[in-house]
Amino acid sequence: MLKVENLSISFRTDEGLITPVEDISFEVRPGHTLGIVGESGSGKSISTKAVMQLLPGNGIISKEAKILYTDKSGKVMDINKLGKKGRAIRAIRGGEIGMIFQEPMASFSPVYTIGNQMVETIRLHRNVGRKDARRIAIGMLDKVGISNPEARIDQYPHEMSGGMRQRAMIALALSAGPALLIADEPTTALDVTIQAQVLDLMRNLQRDLSMGMIFITHDLGVISHIADDVAVMYLGTIVERGPTDKVIHEPAHPYTQGLIKALPSVDRLHDRLTPIPGDIPSPNERPTGCPFHTRCSKTIVGLCDRHQPQILQVGEDHTVRCFLHEKQGRATA
Amino acid sequence: MLRFTLERLVGMIVTMVLVSMMVFLIMEIPPGDYADRYAFRKYSGTGIAITEADIEAIRHDFGLDKPMVLRYVDWIGNIVLHGDFGQAFAFETDVIKVIGDKAWLTMAILFGTLLLTYLVSIPIGIYAAVRRASAADYGLTIFSYLGLALPNFLLALIMLYFANLRFGADIGGLFSAGMADASWSFAKVWDLIKHLWLPAFVLAWSAVAYQIQTIRATMSDELNKLSVTAARARGVPETRLLIKYPARLAINPVVSTIGFDVNRIFSELPIVAVVLGLTELGELLLNAYLDLDMYVAGAILLMLTFVIVVMNFISDILLAWLDPRIKLGNN
Repeated sequence: MLKVENLSISFRTDEGLITPVEDISFEVRPGHTLGIVGESGSGKSISTKAVMQLLPGNGIISKEAKILYTDKSGKVMDINKLGKKGRAIRAIRGGEIGMIFQEPMASFSPVYTIGNQMVETIRLHRNVGRKDARRIAIGMLDKVGISNPEARIDQYPHEMSGGMRQRAMIALALSAGPALLIADEPTTALDVTIQAQVLDLMRNLQRDLSMGMIFITHDLGVISHIADDVAVMYLGTIVERGPTDKVIHEPAHPYTQGLIKALPSVDRLHDRLTPIPGDIPSPNERPTGCPFHTRCSKTIVGLCDRHQPQILQVGEDHTVRCFLHEKQGRATA
Repeated sequence: MLRFTLERLVGMIVTMVLVSMMVFLIMEIPPGDYADRYAFRKYSGTGIAITEADIEAIRHDFGLDKPMVLRYVDWIGNIVLHGDFGQAFAFETDVIKVIGDKAWLTMAILFGTLLLTYLVSIPIGIYAAVRRASAADYGLTIFSYLGLALPNFLLALIMLYFANLRFGADIGGLFSAGMADASWSFAKVWDLIKHLWLPAFVLAWSAVAYQIQTIRATMSDELNKLSVTAARARGVPETRLLIKYPARLAINPVVSTIGFDVNRIFSELPIVAVVLGLTELGELLLNAYLDLDMYVAGAILLMLTFVIVVMNFISDILLAWLDPRIKLGNN
């Protein structure tokens, strides 16, 4: 339903043009969840903002990029050609693709009630009156597990608890019935117990509404619970992509392997965690060659630091950008 | 909201009572009283010797010999119950008659200035923030620094000069010749509006410059808020989005300083009024003090502070309406 090809994103800054996202491709299948994992600064958030044409004024999407979206009526369009303004992109925002954010408090306007913002969204995308819109909104609040929705709908965001606000925000994003939901670290700011509840809720909602979903997180543990497919991002490129099971159990890229080793687990309580050494470089100091070679334990000197690895197939729907798989990859491809 | 309004209303009344006491005290501070002044005026140069007893008699005639507390109660009681502000000694008539039209004209200048300030600065400030770092934005910034740097009496002179030169218009004063003494009619109000724009422009000038910068700064902050991106991600059309989400919060600092603006206009008005030849209360207040004509001074001070207190009340109510967190935090 969403197919992104060769997406690069650049920003005009005082220091010149920087390109935090370079040539990424991914796909969301209808009714399935794509997880995007990566450290902060890896470009996962702005990639999905680009899908909604929500980049700030100095952001540029590369011309050759294709953001192909199939809408509810089956029509295919290239979002990259729609531009940032106008009726066509506004119909997609909220109506076709919903978005939820990490900070529920900050993404609600504090000066309007939950209901006001929901009714506004519903009426923008559905041809219904104020009363019907309110009825739909109450139904949606009920669906996300908010008790006493008839009263809650008239509350302001600051009158709710953190978990409840996150539920309300999911209801807000879903109120206009989008076919695809982009969730940008929706559970990161929550307590672990509430995190599990919200994850459960999102999985159930996705099944009930048969939505496609992009779930952004830096937590591989969360991905293994919710995503069907996963794309691992490092410094603006997708280093590995494939079905979640495969990527978690047979990680092909040294970065993915490092992420899994760095994951705390109750079974390995007494082992020390193995962090990936070093920090993620800033996008305007991107290393030459493979962007990960500065932190990789398997760097091949003279190759990884000079040449950009190509995308290689290592299994069914499982691809990786790494020289270590060069021979093996060629064999299967 | 009703409870919040009532609370603020009670607060306003308490403030007014305290203010009226302070105003009365201020009236008492200058040494001597109108009885001295009256005796001096009437008898100086006549050769008649005045004794302390004569002045006491005058004082008694004017009712100035009663204790201060009693006089305060009389004064405020008459104002509240009968709208009677007392005697204007120097004019030998009621204070109301002396102040009368001047009060209304001062109010007209005040509200004209406020209206002009907000109608110009709010949209321009929002525009500058939305078009941040564009040529228009830089142009407006230069204009507003100019606005802050130029003293308004100088601006008044420049305006007067150009208005006369270019349009041959007589725009000094608040009315055309012949209209000033006419009774109130639609034609006179129109004449007033035609004259009002100049003092309003001069007085609004620096406030506009200042408020553009304020709005530009707060609006820029608000535009970067996640809630704005979130609203955009729901497909809210851009103009409606700007007004509904960031602008509503961005005008907060402007609304909360309405009282300061009123205060500033009152302090700057007298000097502008002198340059432009306006009739307003400031000059009268000064003369009343020189003459120790205390009830005139008191009435003017009371009116000005009353306006400031009322405008602060309105600003509180507007703030609570703009941002519901304010009244909810209060309860």
